[in-house]
Amino acid sequence: MSIAAQKVNANVPRRKDQATRRSFGMDKVFLVLVMLYLIVPLGATLAFGLGTGNGINFSTFQQIFSDPDFSQTLLISLELAVGATILAVVLVTPTAYWVQLRLPKARPLLDFLSLVPFAMPAIVLAVGLLQVYSGTPNPLIGILSLGLVPVLSNDPFNIVNTPPLLVCSYVIIALPFVYRPIDNSLRAVNTRVLSEAAYSLGSGWWRTFLTVILPNIWPGVISAALLTFSTVMGEFTLATLFNIYTFPIYLNGVGQNDPHKAASLAILSFIFTLVCVLGIILLVRGRSVVSRAGSQINLTAVK
Amino acid sequence: MQSKVARGSADASKANNAAGSATRLRRSSRLSWSYTLTNWLGLVPFLLFCLLFEILPGLTIIQGSFADDNTGAFTLANYQHMLSQASNLRAFQTSISISLVTALLGGVIGGLAVYNLRTGWLRNFLIGFSSIAANFAGVPLAFAFVATLGVTGFITVAIHNWFHVNLYDLGFSLYQFWGLVLVYTYFQLPLMILVTLPALSALRPEWREAATNLGASNFTYWRRVALPILLPSLIAAMMLLFANSFGAFATAFALAQGSINLVPILISFVVNGNVVVDFGLGNALAVGMIIVLLLAVSLYTFMVRRVNVWQGR
Repeated sequence: MSIAAQKVNANVPRRKDQATRRSFGMDKVFLVLVMLYLIVPLGATLAFGLGTGNGINFSTFQQIFSDPDFSQTLLISLELAVGATILAVVLVTPTAYWVQLRLPKARPLLDFLSLVPFAMPAIVLAVGLLQVYSGTPNPLIGILSLGLVPVLSNDPFNIVNTPPLLVCSYVIIALPFVYRPIDNSLRAVNTRVLSEAAYSLGSGWWRTFLTVILPNIWPGVISAALLTFSTVMGEFTLATLFNIYTFPIYLNGVGQNDPHKAASLAILSFIFTLVCVLGIILLVRGRSVVSRAGSQINLTAVK
Repeated sequence: MQSKVARGSADASKANNAAGSATRLRRSSRLSWSYTLTNWLGLVPFLLFCLLFEILPGLTIIQGSFADDNTGAFTLANYQHMLSQASNLRAFQTSISISLVTALLGGVIGGLAVYNLRTGWLRNFLIGFSSIAANFAGVPLAFAFVATLGVTGFITVAIHNWFHVNLYDLGFSLYQFWGLVLVYTYFQLPLMILVTLPALSALRPEWREAATNLGASNFTYWRRVALPILLPSLIAAMMLLFANSFGAFATAFALAQGSINLVPILISFVVNGNVVVDFGLGNALAVGMIIVLLLAVSLYTFMVRRVNVWQGR
């Protein structure tokens, strides 16, 4: 590439032009190196997963698909992810709209609550949750939670060490990248004018929200949902500490014994992430509004 | 009976204008008060949820770090315990330095990559790929790197076959500090690219033209115009990267099964250990993490606010 560029430049005597052309070549080299760093591990993993013995064979994939643990843990993770995604969207979207329309004063509070997970990563949150929902009654927590923690720790609604508690904590982990895109979308469309127009035509709050506002902020909602989904599918920390056997924990167990199988599973996970992100890109780019939200679609908590 | 009275008073206020305005005033103030109350009521579900699963766990950690595990009495023993063990302090040191190194590496390389991005297939490809790679982390990433650069990894073996050099004889190890840096950078770099992309597009070409017109060299333009504008965004992005890797647990755990001494791994052992469970120490370590992260997050919000002021958002 750079040789070709120099050949073209040989006919042009201006030095400045030559310099920019050459630095353009350097730019490309740098970017290609970055790309290599990002692509090589994936290619190597694919090759490592496929090439167990001599040549390429798909026996590891056959083993994986016939493993009952694989389908079982995948199903659990899918259920958790669907639950957390629905809960996050249903909880955050109406609240963000409500605050935007009726209570702008409360915006700093929401901003704060959606920033807290940055200062309280999954491992810290898990330590806190393990103590709050430990099953042993703590009067102080009972009072501070308005009596809700004792209710949730005892039998009809017991969530101690169960998947529902995991779903709820996933919603908290996902809060920064659920709230941001939705809030950005709400700001980008003219929420107040749209709502007032709908009200003056006789539509109620819920009808306005569902038929007027929601279609307009759909891109934000979709990216929030898909990010939550992909995060929960890969979440390891909370699931280990709560002793719930999800897909990443299965993957970790496999990786300790059979790196080839783990490599194939890692490739499957990558394909899964790819589908989620492609879903965001295709579904969000296809629609008109919100370009700034694009910068926010990338924060995850699965590390 | 009561409603009749109310209707009566309403009729009276209609008849008497002066008295009516007073009633209306009182009624409107009561109405606005109930309006505010309804406004806050709409927030109740969300706030309750955050209280139960976000605020209370946080408060419990802080309270528990000052309390004895068995008696619940106030004590500083947890912090004394944490500070007296050299391994705990070393864990903080390793965690902070790994986060700083990966934030700087990701920040500098990612920033340069964004600066060099021009339109074309490479740009689209890199941005698209970055949004995937930034989300591809945790356990699968760790095993992808084991498959690539582990002891029997694809690249390790390839280098051995082609150049007859064993990377692990040269002192490289995926399971130590620099190996972890290599793995963490894999999700830090794309994150940096995605976060700084909008910031760099805020740099208007007119500014460069104006600076050149006034006789500024390329270097002066960068030093006096572009860098001061970009610096808050870059620092904010790097703080995000710092927080991102400081709280990372799954990648390091899956990679080395706990043989790397990082604070999150330490906490998981203390809280979920096979031998001893010590929530007091776990709480103290967690508070230490929260303090470090609070510094990063407040610097982040401060810088974001500066960016917003500057760009008039």
